[in-house]
Amino acid sequence: MADLFKVTSSPHVHAKATTPRIMWEVFFALVPAAAVAVYAFGLESVRVILITTAACVALEALYQKLAGGKVTAMDGSAALTGLLLALNLPPTAPWWLCLAGAIIAVIIAKALFGGLGQNIFNPALTARVFLLISFPAQMTRWMIPSQAGDMAKSFLGFNTNFIDHGGEVIKEAAKITVGQVDIVTAASPLGLLKEQGAAALGQLEWWHLAVGHLTNGSLGEISAAALLAGGVYLIARRIISWHIPVSFLGTMAVFATITHAVDPARYAGFEFHLAAGGAMLGAFFMATDYVTSPMYPLGKIVFGCGCGALTMIIRLWGGYPEGVSFAILLMNALTPLIDRYATEKKFGFKKEPKEET
Amino acid sequence: MNAWKEFSKGLIKENPITVCLLGMCPALAISTSTYNALGMGVSVIFVLLCSNILVSLLKKWIPKNVRIPCFVVIIATFVTIVDLVVHAFQPALHKSLGIFIPLIVVNCIILGRAEAFASKKSVWHSIMDALGMGLGFTIVLAIVGTFREFLGNGTVTIFQMGETMVKFNSLDDSFAKTIIAILPPGGFISLGIFAAIVNKLQKKKA
Amino acid sequence: VPTVVIKSDGEDTWADLAPLSGDPLEADVEELKTRVRNAGVVGLGGATFPSHVKLSPPPKKSIDTFILNGCECEPFLTADHRLMVEEPDGVLMGMLIGMRILNVKTGFIGIEGNKPDAIKTMEKTLERMRKQKDLAGIDITVAELPVKYPQGAEKQLIRALLRREVPSGGLPMDVGALVHNVGTVFGMYQAVVEGRPLIERVLTASGSGMKKPGNYKVRIGMLVKDLLSEIGGFADDAKILKLIMGGPMMGLAQFTDEVPVIKSTSGILAFTDKEIGAVREMSCIRCGNCLTVCPMNLNPTLLARISKMSAYEHPESENCLDCIECGCCAFECPSAIPLVQHIRRAKGRIIAMRKKAG
Repeated sequence: MADLFKVTSSPHVHAKATTPRIMWEVFFALVPAAAVAVYAFGLESVRVILITTAACVALEALYQKLAGGKVTAMDGSAALTGLLLALNLPPTAPWWLCLAGAIIAVIIAKALFGGLGQNIFNPALTARVFLLISFPAQMTRWMIPSQAGDMAKSFLGFNTNFIDHGGEVIKEAAKITVGQVDIVTAASPLGLLKEQGAAALGQLEWWHLAVGHLTNGSLGEISAAALLAGGVYLIARRIISWHIPVSFLGTMAVFATITHAVDPARYAGFEFHLAAGGAMLGAFFMATDYVTSPMYPLGKIVFGCGCGALTMIIRLWGGYPEGVSFAILLMNALTPLIDRYATEKKFGFKKEPKEET
Repeated sequence: MNAWKEFSKGLIKENPITVCLLGMCPALAISTSTYNALGMGVSVIFVLLCSNILVSLLKKWIPKNVRIPCFVVIIATFVTIVDLVVHAFQPALHKSLGIFIPLIVVNCIILGRAEAFASKKSVWHSIMDALGMGLGFTIVLAIVGTFREFLGNGTVTIFQMGETMVKFNSLDDSFAKTIIAILPPGGFISLGIFAAIVNKLQKKKA
Repeated sequence: VPTVVIKSDGEDTWADLAPLSGDPLEADVEELKTRVRNAGVVGLGGATFPSHVKLSPPPKKSIDTFILNGCECEPFLTADHRLMVEEPDGVLMGMLIGMRILNVKTGFIGIEGNKPDAIKTMEKTLERMRKQKDLAGIDITVAELPVKYPQGAEKQLIRALLRREVPSGGLPMDVGALVHNVGTVFGMYQAVVEGRPLIERVLTASGSGMKKPGNYKVRIGMLVKDLLSEIGGFADDAKILKLIMGGPMMGLAQFTDEVPVIKSTSGILAFTDKEIGAVREMSCIRCGNCLTVCPMNLNPTLLARISKMSAYEHPESENCLDCIECGCCAFECPSAIPLVQHIRRAKGRIIAMRKKAG
């Protein structure tokens, strides 16, 4: 009798895409943005990105080991969460901030819910919001990008003496020299917008924001162009669909255009809003996270519009200068509801989705 | 039944918060500092003890169909006593506990023990049960409260009367305070993690 | 136990065949049906439903269109393609016989666009037959369809050609159409015009592990083992991982090659690691690929979850029965979840529950 053949259920062939491949591809799409951050802030960015990403992967592996299941930490999802979280942090983030963020993202927001595919809220955003609420001072210490200065000495982020401003505006930039490090600090563009209105933006053009010239913010906020490139790449590779980014950014643009037309001195135009803050990062990389967004195209559009609307409401009239994280988290909570109702008509059904028995 | 067992079960095996999941509302709200937690714990022990004793003494005379309102009246009496005493002698505590003192009346632990235990068992056993449950409640509250206060404020406050405070400050001034620990989300998460750890350890023992 | 013993005389010769005398298109309908039935013609597209039953719909259901399924059911299989190219007369005649039995005047031949020679051949044959015979009143169109799996599934085919959707739980005859496979109508032709019973069929032997891939006319009942030795067997140095009867998406993997070719065997595939990769099952990441590709617009990940948790009180669970088990969802799933397997299990449970409920 010859050797027996393998028997499984049909189908017997499989497409090339696998989950780890998808995760690493999204990771790869974020590299341009990370590169801009490194160019702008120097080794600080490298430090933040490395610590956060490594911590996320290590913590996930540790948790899975302790919980007794399979260790799948290298499947790319933890690394992706780490990189996304890093892009949400300011370059001055101390090591323990990165670690705390990693713990919240990977353990609390993901592993405790059941691991990959089971979380309700976007882990990177959850961590960012937690950190923002817990450590508002550390999370809003911005830096003016210096062109690849020698930051090696402040690599661990200890013992540096920054001016701490929380969310307030500092009119002049203060120059501080500590050791061999030159750091210039100032408020972020959105912060300026919040406190003083569009008139205060002065010479800051939207395209400055798009390419990261003269602006500051967290690692992922300074180059909208790089993020856009990554996002378009993902859409072209059919890893994400266009529905969420287009509806997200479109709704934001509509809001911005209307308010800008009403009061140009107070409200900035849509180019500014799309290029500033976490809009690009949120629209292409955070809101489109498979696990926490709706599955049907109609649901995706509803989700994207909701995110865009909430972002603008918070930015314009809410208490925080940046609303993307909160908007996406709120819509994450609504995703199961959206999925129940925004479905497609099934084949062979007339008006109601239920046939009479 | 062994009276010592009645006492000890409230501490770990049937701990009202981590196992029975009763009285979560004050547990979450009050555990923002050690002082608050201890104050609440002592109040609850007092009310639990007195109401258990009285309910157990009167169990033969309380009609079955109106027993819950009767228990509530008894409990409310003792809560009023506690409220007035705390207000008089510990105004700072009264201020920080706020509405949660009157809310002890509807604390599930007290009503639950009255219904499930004191109305059926002897006075001596009821006393042991009350002490055990109350102590278990206080211990959990104190641990979580210390943890939250330390993380969120960098201090551990044991006693506070007017200006004098027994407080341990964190040593380093640059210690960053995790503000979220004092806020409600921190409460949920701390309590959740604590209960998970306790249950995991208990399962390992068994 | 009633038994039939067949004793072979060892000679591979035909008995006296009694083909139909006269023009089949003028013959008595009952006579045609009886011939089809006695010849054992069944649906060769895979379901093996008795053809004479299919050609006798209940009087309430009026049929107005006859569809010939020239779309190959699955990738790797090309048997129908070759049959259309090499025996177009028989195929077309069979279709006309079917239309006569049903008294239907409109017909479609749906062929996928990657078979231009088949399309041309069928069109030419149709033209020729129109000139030779009197096909008055009969309107047959050869329709070119996009190359998409599962275009060959009958519900999808009907929607593509007629823009009608077969209702859930219903059959094609509910929308006035009947679909037949190319091999089936050829069998009908042979039964009526040549008087031959259905004892052989065309199947595709393929796969990277097959030494001489091709389409072969095989007698039903032949052991796959013997067939393989006749056609050259497995490729040299090939490590055969799976031997599949049918196509790669819906076929049945076999333990051994000592199984017979049956009427539904449309293909024998020998797969090596060229076709079969090592896949590791992970948890569902809610990417939505499965529901995007489902031809029945179902939500496979939800149905699979219902099946895993046996949560059949969920309102969506009855959609399991609409699944045509085409395998598109499991093919696309990046987490390699065996969605079809889960849904199949759910189907069985639901049917059993319904039966019990009476």
